[in-house]
Amino acid sequence: MTSTQESRVDRETVLDITEFLYREALALDERRFRDWLDFLAEDIRYEVPVRVTREGLADWELAPTSRIFDDTKGTLEVRVRRLETDFAWAEQPPSRTRHFVTNVVVDRTETDGEYLASSNVFIYRSRGDDPNPSLYSLFRKDTIRRKGDGWELARRWAALDQALINAHNMSIFI
Amino acid sequence: MTTWAVDSGIESSLREIREGIKEGRFPARAFNDQQIFDLEQQRLFPRTWCFLAHESEIPSPGDYVTRYIGNNNIIVARDEQGQIHANLNMCRHRGNVMCKSEMGNASHFRCSYHGWTYKNSGELIGVPYMKEGYEGRLKRKDWGLVNVRIDTYAGLVFGCLDPRTPSLEEYLGGFQFYLDLYLKQGEAGSEVHGPPDHWVADTDWKICAENFAGDGYHTPVAHQFGFNLGYFPSSGSTHSQGWAASIPGRGHGIGLGHSPNFPPFGGFPEELTAEMKRTLSPAQIEVFSKVRTAVGTVFPNLSFLMQPFSLVPGETGVRFVTMRLYHPVGPGRMEMYSWCLVPRGASQEYKDEAYKAYTLAFGQAGTFEQDDFENWTKVTRSAKSTMVKNIDFPYIMGMGSERDPDFPGPGHVVRPYVNDTNFRNLWGRWADYLVGDVEP
Repeated sequence: MTSTQESRVDRETVLDITEFLYREALALDERRFRDWLDFLAEDIRYEVPVRVTREGLADWELAPTSRIFDDTKGTLEVRVRRLETDFAWAEQPPSRTRHFVTNVVVDRTETDGEYLASSNVFIYRSRGDDPNPSLYSLFRKDTIRRKGDGWELARRWAALDQALINAHNMSIFI
Repeated sequence: MTTWAVDSGIESSLREIREGIKEGRFPARAFNDQQIFDLEQQRLFPRTWCFLAHESEIPSPGDYVTRYIGNNNIIVARDEQGQIHANLNMCRHRGNVMCKSEMGNASHFRCSYHGWTYKNSGELIGVPYMKEGYEGRLKRKDWGLVNVRIDTYAGLVFGCLDPRTPSLEEYLGGFQFYLDLYLKQGEAGSEVHGPPDHWVADTDWKICAENFAGDGYHTPVAHQFGFNLGYFPSSGSTHSQGWAASIPGRGHGIGLGHSPNFPPFGGFPEELTAEMKRTLSPAQIEVFSKVRTAVGTVFPNLSFLMQPFSLVPGETGVRFVTMRLYHPVGPGRMEMYSWCLVPRGASQEYKDEAYKAYTLAFGQAGTFEQDDFENWTKVTRSAKSTMVKNIDFPYIMGMGSERDPDFPGPGHVVRPYVNDTNFRNLWGRWADYLVGDVEP
């Protein structure tokens, strides 16, 4: 499977989009959540389906009707507003996160100015004095849309690799 | 003070604990202790009715899910005639796991080790080299999967390992009146919105069971952001209002939170409210009309919560229901299964709205859920420290309070909502099982 000459996205766009994803991850890891919201399109859909362990031939493994996150810009803002209070206990003191974004592949979509960026993401999350971090491995499919001279995240779809998730809560963004 | 004797002294410690509960104290150590965990596995979970699945998770012939009773993995399957069966997920030949998936559809299960094959009802129907190997000595009817007794209520499927335990109806003992608030929202009843959130936490299952048996006390602090930003339609000044209802001697309990200005049946679409008024009894309608939040535990480890959530501060919002199962996997460690239940007959629009409220509030990434487990992992951690060994917690709210004479629901019902009465009942029943003092 090689991308044909016509569908291949030019190197500069690939680098641009990859850097956009890195900077978005940096905003999260530096806990600049208001800045992070600026990376997101007004009409963003932010979605993380529930994974179920099933037989290889089953018609789905990611539940069509169950979501860990199913957010809009409005509800993501609610989550950020919550973190800005003094009593979002799940994040007091805050988690230290590190988002490792790799294997970025950029493809064209049918919409002009919108690209599909697939990536592997590994998130390390450390809390308090607990020496055991939460580790999340996931696959992301993001729609990145051109906005003026830059970019915005129009859709995030992320699937965790664990069906039984090894974390007492999901109080971070992915 | 409950003194904690090690090993051989555990029996007398348990009796002391049971007496202490009546006087309003419960030992911190119980929330993270190997001996207690072992006794729960031996004396509690094998004798109670344990929740397995909601019927709507396995709607068609062949559908199955795998769940646990204590540390036993159980297949819950619907056979070709539509009957539900529960069997130990273990091949009778050499003990291999039959179903390695959490859910699926199969008319038969074939073991991947030597190939013994069973109907999804558990009957053994196929044995390779039957003639050549067993030479007529093996009777298939003697070697089916190990069957587990089941019983259902309003879509909930429970399993019980002890044939002496009374029927589910008797076991629930009138708590059905309150369960209907979650399960009979309309003529068609309730259904799961999809497969459950499933995660693991360093938290003792009992902390969750207690919290959901009606801990209205924690809400204004643990979930302060919700009050502060207006997403939760209750206020600190009136939050203590409401009732704590429990079924004495059974362990079940529910907290019923009341807000003076919250409209009766607020947060439900009109047509659903009209239907509920037809399906519920007059006493249930009276209770439901006064209730903003209903948070209850079916002893030992199944809970429900119905709560409104609004994205527009100050508004009624939408009501959603979550059902959760706390599966203990070690002392101070558990797996959480969390479903969203929706009224089967409601519009898709309302179901989707209720589910969104669930994910934002009580799914694994839910803004209320996140804070609960942060607190509970810390409680679990404290419970293991040596200084805590002989420390009790106070369970004295509502000690000696009289039953509210005007309340139409069954059980021991006291005011206010902020109360320990349900917890004394919960831990009293728990202690009965651990002592081994439960009538068959």
